[in-house]
Amino acid sequence: MNKLSIITGFLGGVKNRYITYEADRDLIEKFKLASKIKGLEGFELCYPADFSDPGLLKKLLSDYGYGVSAVNVRTRRTGKWWRGSFTSSDAQEREDVVVEIKNAMDAAREVGATRITTCPLNDGHDYVFEMNYIDAYRYAQECFVEICSHDPGVNICIEYKWNDPRTRCFFASAGETVAFCNSVGADNLGATLDIGHSIQTGERPAQAAALLAQAGRLFYVHLNDNDRNFDWDHIPGAFNFWEFIEFFFYLRELGYTDDWYAYDVMSKEIDTVETFDTVFDVTRKLEQLAYDIDRPTVMDLMKERNPAKVMRFLYEKVI
Amino acid sequence: MKRWRYTANASFYGLRRDRFTQYQPAAGVEERIRNVAATEGISGIELKYPFDFDNPKLVKDLLAETGLELSAVNVDIKDATYFRFGALSAQKSAARDKAVELLTAGMDLAAELDANLVSTCPLADGYDYPFQVDFTDAWGYFTETVSRICRHREDVRLALEYQPHEPHSRILLSNVGKMLHVCSEVDLPNIGANFDVGHSFAALESPGESAALLASQKRLFYLHSSDNTGDGGDWDMISGSVHFWHWIELLLTLDAVGYDGWIGADIMPKFGTARDFYITNKKMIDSMIGLIEHLGEEELRRLCGEDGSSAIIYEMFADRLASL
Repeated sequence: MNKLSIITGFLGGVKNRYITYEADRDLIEKFKLASKIKGLEGFELCYPADFSDPGLLKKLLSDYGYGVSAVNVRTRRTGKWWRGSFTSSDAQEREDVVVEIKNAMDAAREVGATRITTCPLNDGHDYVFEMNYIDAYRYAQECFVEICSHDPGVNICIEYKWNDPRTRCFFASAGETVAFCNSVGADNLGATLDIGHSIQTGERPAQAAALLAQAGRLFYVHLNDNDRNFDWDHIPGAFNFWEFIEFFFYLRELGYTDDWYAYDVMSKEIDTVETFDTVFDVTRKLEQLAYDIDRPTVMDLMKERNPAKVMRFLYEKVI
Repeated sequence: MKRWRYTANASFYGLRRDRFTQYQPAAGVEERIRNVAATEGISGIELKYPFDFDNPKLVKDLLAETGLELSAVNVDIKDATYFRFGALSAQKSAARDKAVELLTAGMDLAAELDANLVSTCPLADGYDYPFQVDFTDAWGYFTETVSRICRHREDVRLALEYQPHEPHSRILLSNVGKMLHVCSEVDLPNIGANFDVGHSFAALESPGESAALLASQKRLFYLHSSDNTGDGGDWDMISGSVHFWHWIELLLTLDAVGYDGWIGADIMPKFGTARDFYITNKKMIDSMIGLIEHLGEEELRRLCGEDGSSAIIYEMFADRLASL
């Protein structure tokens, strides 16, 4: 069974361009708050924010008994890498991000994690003719070749996303990401499939998972939901109920069953603990609905490719 | 083609942020007013109430000194301190009363400073999940509260700015149809729209059509120019940088319906200065107006009125553009 983890950034300082919903919390406060959430088994730690005192971090993890699903390297920051990190036209900026991720890989080892995830949100563009795409691909390839060779035992996951804060992110879809990973060629380069990002970018998440897994690039899964217009980080299943059932069904087919789900869910005006309690319970329910599907029947139905029969089956036998 | 007066939203001349990043240094109201005044081609300014009016006398003196006209008082009703669960449509009367207090105070201020127009974007009035809001109650409260505000004084107009989403995944006042519904329910001459072109694109509208609809009911009070990628995000981009032909159509429509108000702008400077972005935005709009004249506005209007003329119109565009 996949374990449940929360990205620490969602336990404090939650805001958007208009409203700040939650005040910032320090690491001790985040652990204290998280300990009230039923079913939580670990964190996706943010680098560098959570690593300012590695001794304290290790002690907190040990005291509370939490694991680390991944280390999330923030490659977008106020005042740095504004025009992109891996794709920046400034060689120094690219060198800085390579060093930063190498350091994060070493730090991840220190807390028992062998997975780095990063969402290159400022690697993208707002306007046409703003970026030289040919150069940008080359720069990104060079960066990831160097990063991946630093420690082949640590997986590097690119979390693709359609937009925000740029109107178009550079890695926007599973297709673009898998093609890029293949072009780099390193075995330890793959994708974080954030199901909300996948939905927003117009994908069928189960199909994206199949594509990535077939290429050996499905490294990690983030769970949340949205209405396809924007990355709202809503509670899983609130909008795309059947897509979640299909996604969990496929994750089991693809062997993603003994790993982690990490969550980026915005609690907004609702209590954070109450939100994640619901998020975890709903996840397990959705997962169980998917696992209870009679596999031989659904496999036969997919061979037949008759949606009338599939919908009847889902509404009569699954819920 | 008519030439309109341009005004700038002073909020964009200071610290901006999105969910991930902060852009531009913070700037006080005096610095922002002076920077707007230093933006060539801009003769008006839109200021935020209550944040920009800690010292109304200072604002008044600066407007007099710089010669800027106050185009609108933009009243903020999304402060989470009061409006965590809505403002105009809130279930709790205390939140609705607070919204009325802020907006009526904004109206008094607008009258005092000769703006006579208050704008507000009711972004706290929305929801994320199914079953989160009782829509019947919420819409009832919304129109009732707007009526209360409009009745405060007849000499100041209230321009509501519709937007489909953000910070909630659904905003109640999300499109031009709902905007006109509110106007019809309130049924007072001083209720109308601050027509934000980017919001109209985000709501999957053709802004030319929406402007025509609003003008047909005498509800087109004010306008924010901007653009976006049309896939949901309100990116506040330079006008015409994405939806070039839709912008041309909008300008032609504004001229046709006799729009006589300001051309305001919500333009996100991100990596440059607000002054540069606002100058470019104005230049783009001026250039598009010039292009309409070059394309032949009278012929264009005539062809628009003929069935099945799209191919002829674009052929005309192709010919005239080739001759530039």
